[in-house]
Order: sequence, then C-alpha cells, then structure tokens
Amino acid sequence: MYSDLYKGGVFISNPYPIDDVGIKKTTLPNKVILPLNERMTEKATPCVKVGDLVLTGQVIASNDDFNSVPIHATVSGQVTAIDDHLIPHKSGFKTQCITIQSDGKDEWVKDENSTKDYWKYPQSLLIEKIHYAGIVGMGGAGFPTHIKLGLSQNCSTIIVNGTECEPGIMCDDALMQNYPSQVIKGVEILLHICGAERAIIAIENDKPDAYNSLLINNNNDRISIAHVPTKYTSGSEKLLTKTILDKEIPSGDFAIDVGIVCLNVATVKAIFDIIIEGKPLVSRIVTVTGSGVSKPYNYEARLGSSFEDIVSLSSPNKLKHDVRMGGMMMGIDVPSTDVPISKTCNCIFINNRVAKDTARECIRCGSCNQACPVGLLPQQLYWYSKSEKTDKAVEYSLFDCIECACCSYVCPSNIPLVEYFSFAKALHRNTSEEKRKANIARERFEYREFRLERNKTERAQMMEAKKKAIKEKMAKEKSQKDKITKAMERVNTNKKNKINE
Amino acid sequence: MNSGELNTSQVMRQVIYALGLGVGASFYFFGWGVLIQIVLGIVTALVSESVFLSFRGLPVKPTIADGSAILTAILLAISIPTMAPWWIIVVGVTFAIIFGKQIYGGLGNNPFNPAMLGYAFLLISYPLQMTTWGSDYVNIEQSINAIFNISSVDILTGATKLDEVKMQISLGTHIENLDIYSLSQSWINAGFLVGGLYLLIRKIIYWQIPTAFILGIFATAGLLFLIDDNIYLPPQLHLMLGASMLGAFFIATDPVSSSTTPKGRLIYGFLIGMLVVIIRVFGGYPDGVAFAVLLINIAVPLIDSYTKPKVFGK
Repeated sequence: MYSDLYKGGVFISNPYPIDDVGIKKTTLPNKVILPLNERMTEKATPCVKVGDLVLTGQVIASNDDFNSVPIHATVSGQVTAIDDHLIPHKSGFKTQCITIQSDGKDEWVKDENSTKDYWKYPQSLLIEKIHYAGIVGMGGAGFPTHIKLGLSQNCSTIIVNGTECEPGIMCDDALMQNYPSQVIKGVEILLHICGAERAIIAIENDKPDAYNSLLINNNNDRISIAHVPTKYTSGSEKLLTKTILDKEIPSGDFAIDVGIVCLNVATVKAIFDIIIEGKPLVSRIVTVTGSGVSKPYNYEARLGSSFEDIVSLSSPNKLKHDVRMGGMMMGIDVPSTDVPISKTCNCIFINNRVAKDTARECIRCGSCNQACPVGLLPQQLYWYSKSEKTDKAVEYSLFDCIECACCSYVCPSNIPLVEYFSFAKALHRNTSEEKRKANIARERFEYREFRLERNKTERAQMMEAKKKAIKEKMAKEKSQKDKITKAMERVNTNKKNKINE
Repeated sequence: MNSGELNTSQVMRQVIYALGLGVGASFYFFGWGVLIQIVLGIVTALVSESVFLSFRGLPVKPTIADGSAILTAILLAISIPTMAPWWIIVVGVTFAIIFGKQIYGGLGNNPFNPAMLGYAFLLISYPLQMTTWGSDYVNIEQSINAIFNISSVDILTGATKLDEVKMQISLGTHIENLDIYSLSQSWINAGFLVGGLYLLIRKIIYWQIPTAFILGIFATAGLLFLIDDNIYLPPQLHLMLGASMLGAFFIATDPVSSSTTPKGRLIYGFLIGMLVVIIRVFGGYPDGVAFAVLLINIAVPLIDSYTKPKVFGK
C-alpha cells in the first residue's frame, strides 16, 4: 500500500454506507433531455429536427470545434422538442436541449468500422473513434478524453483513478466490482494508444472487493493494482500522482505535462464500450445517497434521464430536500430533481433540508491551512478574497487552489471558504481581462498619437528638404547664368579686341 | 458543511475550561479575589460588547455567543492583582472589548490581543493599583470589602516576586542571598501548564507557539544567567514566575492576533519569549508578557508574509 505522501486532506468515511455495493440497471426512461452544451465544451448544433426518428447511439448534435464532443441519442425514438430546459448548473441555467421520446425498443446504430482487434489499428484512428463516442472525463471534470489521449505520445505511465472522488460516492467502486474484465481490457487498449510502459489502477483501501475483483481479472504484467489511503482529495489528479509515483506535478501543469495520463475508471470502461462493443457513451453509473433517501444505491442510467427517475428508486422520504449533484464536498446544489443526468454526474445527494449554521468571523485558527492538500493558507486567501484584493490573493497562490473544500469542511467558523475562492478567481480573471483590454486600447491610442506626431515631423522635414533643394537649384542656375554672361562678355571683349587690331 | 469538530464558540469554551486549574491555584493561595474579578470582568464584557454592538447596529446575541468577550474578560481578570479595586477590571475590560476588538470590526479583525491591550492600558494608567498584590489567603467577606472598598481591610500586600527580586538586585543584593522561589506562583504556573497541555492534546492550540515561547524564555534567560549568575535569575525560574505559562499557552496562542503560518508561529512564539525576559530584566515593569505580546502582534503581518508554506508543485 502507498503511504500518505502529501500533507493535509481530511479523513471522512462514507456517511451513508451500504452492505453490498452493486448496480441496479434502470428501465428505459420515457424521455431523455440532452443539453447541447455540456461543461467544458462549445455549444453543439443539432443535426436532427423535431419529428425525426433516431436510434440509440446516433449523433444528434455536433460542431467543428476539436475541443468539443458530439452528442448522441441515448434512447431510440422520436425527437419531440429542441428548446430550453433547466440543466444541473451552479447558476441554475437553462440551455437548449434536445428532447427524445423513447419508443421503448432501444434500437442501436450499427458499428460500421469494428475495432475489436484494436491492436491492428493506428492510435490516431482509435482516438478519433473515442472522440466520436463523446467520451469525457467521467470523474467530474468532464475534460474531453480524446484531447488528453492526443497529447499522450510521450507518456510513460497511465494512472487509472479508481479512488472514489468523494466520501459517499460509490459509483466507481460498483463499476469495478461489476465490470472488472472490461476495465482491465480498457486499460490494455489505453496502453496500446498511449504506448505507455505500465498502467496503475489506484483503489482506496476501504474497497477490498473492487480491489480483489480487478486482481483476479488482471493477467497483464504491465498493469498493476494499487491500494491508496482512503483520504479525501487523493482522487485529485495531482495528489494521486504524488501518492503513487511520488512525483509533484508543477504548479500550473497537468499530469500529461510530466508524461502521465490519468483517467477515471468509468472513462476507461467507456473506452472499452466504444472500441470493443462499438457503443458510444449513452449511460453512466450514478450513486443516489444522502439523508433524504432510505436506500442509497448505484444505478446505471441513460444520460438525459431525469434525476427524479433514479431518485425515486432509492425510497426518498417525504420531507423537503436539498438536491446536490456530485459529492458533499465539491458538488453543486441544483434547484430540483427535474434536471437531466449528465456525463459528469457521478452522484446525486438528496439531503433533508436543515437550517444552515451561519458563518462566523474567521479567527485565523489555521485549521484550514492544516487541511489544505496543496499547502495554501486559506485563512489569508479568505482575507484577500473577501476584500477583493485579488492581486494579493494571487500572490498567495489563489490559482493553485483545487477547490476541494477541505478548508470549508474543517472551518470552525463555518465559512464557505471555497465559494470565496472561486469568486475571487472569477473576479481576478475578469479584472485582468479588462486590464488587458484597457492596456491594448491605451497602447493603440499612444501609437496613434506617436504616428500623428511622426507624420507631422516627417512632413515638416520633407518640406524643409524641398525648400532647400529649390534654393540650391536656384543658386546653381544663377551661377550658371553668371558663368554664361561672363563667357559672353569674354567673347565680346575678344571680338572687340580683334576688330580693334 | 460541518466536520463534526469544534466550532468557534466551542473552542472558546474549551479554552475557558482549561484555565480552571490555574484559577483554582490562585484561589487556593489568594482566596476569593480572583473569582470576584472574573465575575466582574464577565459582566463588564457582556455589557460593553452588547452596548457597542447595538451602537453599530449589529445583532447582539450571535456575537456574544461566540464566547470571545468572556474569554478576554477572564484572561484580564486573572492577570490583574486579586485585590485590585472593582473599577480596575471594569475599566480594563471595557477598554479591551471596545478599543481592543470592536473598534477594528469585532472578533477576527483585531491586530492586538484584546486582553493584553487592556492590561497594558491599566498598567500604564494605574501603576499603583496594578502592582499591589495580596500575599495571603483572603476570605470572601474580606475580598468583597477590599475590592468594593466598603470598609478598610487589613490585608498583607506587597509586590510580586519578580518585582521584589528586581528591586533587591538593583539594590545590590546577590541572588544567592535572596529567596527567589515562590510557592504560590509556581503552583499557579503549573496549573496553567497542565491546562495548556490539555488544549494541546485536544488540538485547540498548536504546539509551535507555546514551545517556541518557552524556548525563547529559556534561551534568553539562560544566556543572561551564563553571563552573570549573580544578577540574573536562572532560566527555569523565569518559566515558573509571573505570567509565563499563562502567556505561553493562553495569551500568545490567541489565534486572531498571532501568526498563522506553521513556521511563523515558531518565530512569533520565540520572539515573545525573548522579549518577556528582556522586559523583565531590563525594563521598568515587573512582568513583560503583555508588552511582549503586543509588540510582536505588530510584527505578525511581516512574519506571515515571509513564512508562507511551500505550495504543492511550486
């Protein structure tokens, strides 16, 4: 087992543990709602119209931007609407979505170019296929996987992240227990794509069942399975790399910059699905948990089905609930369960609504600084973020904050520190953008002034030169005239002299 | 979000409990004075903070409930002479709450330790009352009479041990001829030491400040003692006299006004310990904890900005 190689972090056990971590396959939803812009990607343009019939896995929207991924129908049926709908977003945004009414048949598109024998195909083709399948980082960040893999030529090690992102989430654990051979196969495909020497699957030490099932299924000596301490924030790419390889990814860089590809297990399973089975990403495993449900469990749900579809399976109580997408630490509060499940939705927390403890003043106790896994001083950052002195906050490494919320969790004054930090980051980005624009405008203005001034002096110089030239010319002409008249005089006198003689 | 650990007011309460042993020792040796001062201090703190908060148009109850005003009052009450007249603690606590804390915007925003600011104010303004200590056990009736000046009470009074020693040394007496041990002060200090260790174990205070504080006292006093053991007290005595242990575990550790970085806490504690001895030995006041803490409070922003911890990946 790997030891604790980074300081900070917090130890939190699953607040709502269950005995058997399994997966319940849900019945097909009646309808799915698919947003045209998922996180991190540009808005896609629909390539279907209302009334069109679509098959499961068919591309229904895409765009030319390499950084975005196409959107697929996740059930077969008819497109019934393309309009605005509430999506799970911090700000309660509405965005354009495609609604598909299911026909209940779940007919799939055919995989025309099978890549079952993936080792026969060049890396670029496989990456293209992963791009086509709409695969993004399924741990929560949603970074398009094909971009990561496209940069992986010099990669030495693949880290497969099987540490649950946050306490309470069980979807990765369930996935590894239910699909161990697919995960291993997926890792083998990745080894082929990246040309890496080895792959390490990291699993927290409180998940022995997942560990064992992967171990049994692994016959590849380039793949190893590692136990890491169950400490919160170990799931972060940087801290996981530190834990496993004792390598510190420089500030501002990503794992890929030091030759490491780090992917979530669910992403690896999705890669298996497209390369071997020819199935694009249309479903994911979601944990439903929290104080408001009596049976926390994992569900394999079609993307675009509503939160309500699977929350209702976990026997929610009748009280008022707070709905949260993602974990208790880094998740976001969403207004209701009437929002669609997205590719990054690993967990839905349904909590009984309780009166919130108000925040008190910061007493600079330093608990946050002890808990911070990246060695920041949240108490100082808080001070500068609150007073909007973002330059000073940046000096205190504001942008190294991974927003893991360990500081908010331990704060005895109950201050929502991370909210201050993400606000300060946005504020700083805005002000520096404004500053940049103002600078450009100022430079332009100054250059214009300079240019006008320069033109003026140039023109004056030119005029001066011209005047001088004319003067010189006139002087020259005059002297020539003089010479001629002198010569004429000489001739005349000579003539006179001759006549006189 | 709540970690299930202590919140701010629970932290304050724990600190107050931890003061119990030292206060108990003071009670055992000097009687009821200390308890009367504490009660007076708490009442004053609550009244002055409530009044000031309502002037500021802020809700009174949640702020009072954080317990910080009560803690300030207790710290000041146990720092002044047990038989000081009632208005001393009233004036001191009022000053500490208003000018030490509220005027900067309340808890969390004060650059100075409020209790020590109150103490320094009292010591400068009322030096006579602030340096006259009872030297015997006084019962409740006599204590009330003395503190509220109801009738004149015949109480043995005198200077503190530190004061007495300093005076004798300045008169040319050699230390070996002096009775430099003080049973009561040693026990009181021991009481605060045990309370402080409790706070350390509960992880309410960090080890850096008390350790560095004690080290600062020991190193500075030790150096002086090595130079001339005829006129300078042995270092271990410095630790058990005056407000050393109270200062190390309860005063210098005030999180708001102390350094907040791990390395900074070491520097902060050490500098205070050093200054305590320097003020005791060379200064005009008998004890130096209050002034040392206030002086190093000023240096905190500087210490903090030079002791930022290493950021991951930098």
